[in-house]
Amino acid sequence: MDRIQSILSVAGVGCFALAFVLSAVYPWAITSGTVTEATIAEVAERITPEFVDLAERYPAEFDRAHPGVREALTPQSVLADLGGSGDREAGLAAWREAHAKSLRRGRDIYVAEGCWHCHSQYVRPVSNEDIRFGPVSTWLQDNNALQRPVMWGTRRVGPDLTYEGGLRSNDWHAAHFWEPRNVSPGSVMPRFRWFFEEGFRLSRTIDPSIAERTGLAPETEYPIAGVYLTQADAEAARQRHIDALPSALRAEGERLNVTPARTLNSDGLSLIAYLQWLGTWQPTATSQED
Amino acid sequence: MTTADIPLPDDAAGDDGAVESANIGDLVHKRLIKAHFTFAVVFLLTSMTAGFLVSLNFLNHYPFPDVPWLSSGRLRFLHTNEIAYGFLVNAFVGAMYYAVPRMTGRPVASLKLGWFIFFVWQIIVFSASVGQALGFAQGVEWGETPTGFRPGSFDLQYIPVDLLVAVGALLVAFQFLMPLAKAFNKRLYVTGWYLTSGLIWLILTYVMGNVLPEWGMPGASGAATAGLFIHDLVGLFVTPMGWGLMYFFVPIILRTPMWSHALSVIGFWALAFFYPLNGVHHFLLSSIPMSVQYGAVISTMAVEIVVTTVVVNFFATMWGQGHALRSNLPIRWFYTGMVFYFITCLQCAFHTSLTMQAIIHFTDWVPGHAHLVMLGVFAFWNFGIITWLWPRLTGNEWHSRRLNHWHYWLTLIGLVIMFVDLLAAGVIHGNMLRDLVPWMVIVEAMKPYWGVRTFAGGMILIGQILWAYNLWKTARTPKPYDYRVDLVAQEVN
Ligand code: HEC
Repeated sequence: MDRIQSILSVAGVGCFALAFVLSAVYPWAITSGTVTEATIAEVAERITPEFVDLAERYPAEFDRAHPGVREALTPQSVLADLGGSGDREAGLAAWREAHAKSLRRGRDIYVAEGCWHCHSQYVRPVSNEDIRFGPVSTWLQDNNALQRPVMWGTRRVGPDLTYEGGLRSNDWHAAHFWEPRNVSPGSVMPRFRWFFEEGFRLSRTIDPSIAERTGLAPETEYPIAGVYLTQADAEAARQRHIDALPSALRAEGERLNVTPARTLNSDGLSLIAYLQWLGTWQPTATSQED
Repeated sequence: MTTADIPLPDDAAGDDGAVESANIGDLVHKRLIKAHFTFAVVFLLTSMTAGFLVSLNFLNHYPFPDVPWLSSGRLRFLHTNEIAYGFLVNAFVGAMYYAVPRMTGRPVASLKLGWFIFFVWQIIVFSASVGQALGFAQGVEWGETPTGFRPGSFDLQYIPVDLLVAVGALLVAFQFLMPLAKAFNKRLYVTGWYLTSGLIWLILTYVMGNVLPEWGMPGASGAATAGLFIHDLVGLFVTPMGWGLMYFFVPIILRTPMWSHALSVIGFWALAFFYPLNGVHHFLLSSIPMSVQYGAVISTMAVEIVVTTVVVNFFATMWGQGHALRSNLPIRWFYTGMVFYFITCLQCAFHTSLTMQAIIHFTDWVPGHAHLVMLGVFAFWNFGIITWLWPRLTGNEWHSRRLNHWHYWLTLIGLVIMFVDLLAAGVIHGNMLRDLVPWMVIVEAMKPYWGVRTFAGGMILIGQILWAYNLWKTARTPKPYDYRVDLVAQEVN
């Protein structure tokens, strides 16, 4: 290669480099470069009430994903300080770790399932988006490890999810993943049945005489809250129920049944934990100029 | 093995290694080209089938709602990635095996390396799709190829496809840069410039886009880098490859030199300078610093000037030979693509304005635009190239020339319907969004447009199936091809 050619070749790579400096390095230098990125542990520090609620609703699955966490501190006392225990801090640390793990996993599923090709996570200062979705996004709130790679998205088939946390209940999300059209008629969001697993739950029929009086169908199975992963667990729970019944009501025990049911699996739990976290973390750094 | 596959002995080469023009055809490895083209068409079909299936999801008629690895969210990765890495790369590489040795008069680095690249590349594309189906996609648009690492860490959990793509791109570059670099000394045809830079830019772009947003930069700066990646992949790889090959094939088929060499050179350098500066325009009105966003908007508008010079040059080259559009199908593919290229870029110049961004960002306008670029321009050019080369590679006359015309018209009409439909849907969606219309009302309003999109996609898919059938039949049925039937008649003054 003679000199001119070499100069021109360098120029070709130079064009790439110039653009890289101007449109990647420079924005980095004046944003993320000035404030340390928040780690997952930091953004998971505040445990959302919905995360605790997930632990209460899906205890078996929660225990499987985060063994020992519910024993370290009961769900009820995570949110409300029920006083005194010195172990509280240690318990909370276990919860935070479980929360961080769920957020990480939930985000990975959000990426793997392509949610980000139908949902955005960035509110623009135009088109009344702040009225519809919430405050306009800032770079500081995206300056955290859960936005690497960033989930801004490209297309809003479904609504923006920047502030999804707390907007809907866990049950709503579970029902929505099972069949979006059940909760949002006409929705085109795909269903995600593989976030669920076969399990067992307790249900009961009612006393025929009561059924007759109230006009309820006697053969209907009325579910009792809580889902168990194995039939043995469910049978044990049934026995505990029966044992707890006062002797006068022993006959009620006859009508307790173990029936197949579905539970969210740990992927489903993590994804909902992630959705419920979205928009709840506020950066503490104040070096932002505008 | 045919004679065409036998590498040339040294003494057939001229004083500086260049081959006399009489033997130049021997430098072309026809079987290798055929293999690349075959897989290009295979991935074209799978990608378009995936796109068609995903569109059914929007009509609530998705056929496999409960199969995780066939879910519409995951198939969407396959749709874009197989078009980029499966169809376009295979077609470009195949075309380069024809163009580069003929242009430089030198063989590519190694025929063995060629077959090695061929097999490795198909494995890469295949394992990318499998990885995405299994849920290992990476969260970078157009770079969803699995990193293979557990996100945010360096624990291996799957084949590190990103790494393999980078290595593959290096090998491809080595393969073609050998003849290209030697030819640099003598005379420099503009195709050489485009291909050389495109091959080098691909490596840089791919590594940047797949490494930095995942491990380096969070939030806004990561988005800026990802935007740069998306744009460089199209602007610094697909576009230079496409134009480079156009500068090669159009003059050969029309048997006319380019109208202006000066315009070609201006077009090349303006592309090199302005295109990559556009990156951030994928995330306008975002939290990326406004100064960077304005810079991207202005250079996007500047690109339109570049584009005009290139398109003018090509249309001036064709001056007086307009009849070729009727008589020569490859030329028709090429020039239709150029018209779409002009429209796409004109669209860019307008829709990067913040006024239009406010409405059309996050709507179907964007996929409408993307289809015009990827299908209407670059796929059209590759259709033209493959259509022109196929009888020459197989030595067989077309099984049916009629089917080729069906391919053209179904694809063209399908694409125009899809483009107009998605543009309209985008404008309506954007306005409903601004007017605070409830979300489900917007979704319902989009459904008729999504129906039309599926219809148009079906037309396009049928076109490709007919073409693939025709290619297959042509390769299988010996019927000697006489290249003279395809010569463009010269103007009689
Ligand atoms: C085909 C596009 C599409 C995909 C893929 C998709 N969604 Fe949706 N999503 C929608 C649409 C449309 C709606 C609005 C209608 C509804 O509520 O179902 C929606 C609504 C939602 C909502 C309710 C927002 C609200 O509060 O109103 C949540 C949460 C959600 N999606 C989460 C997800 C998650 C998580 C994934 C990935 C596992 C996902 N979506 C994948 C299209 C999609």
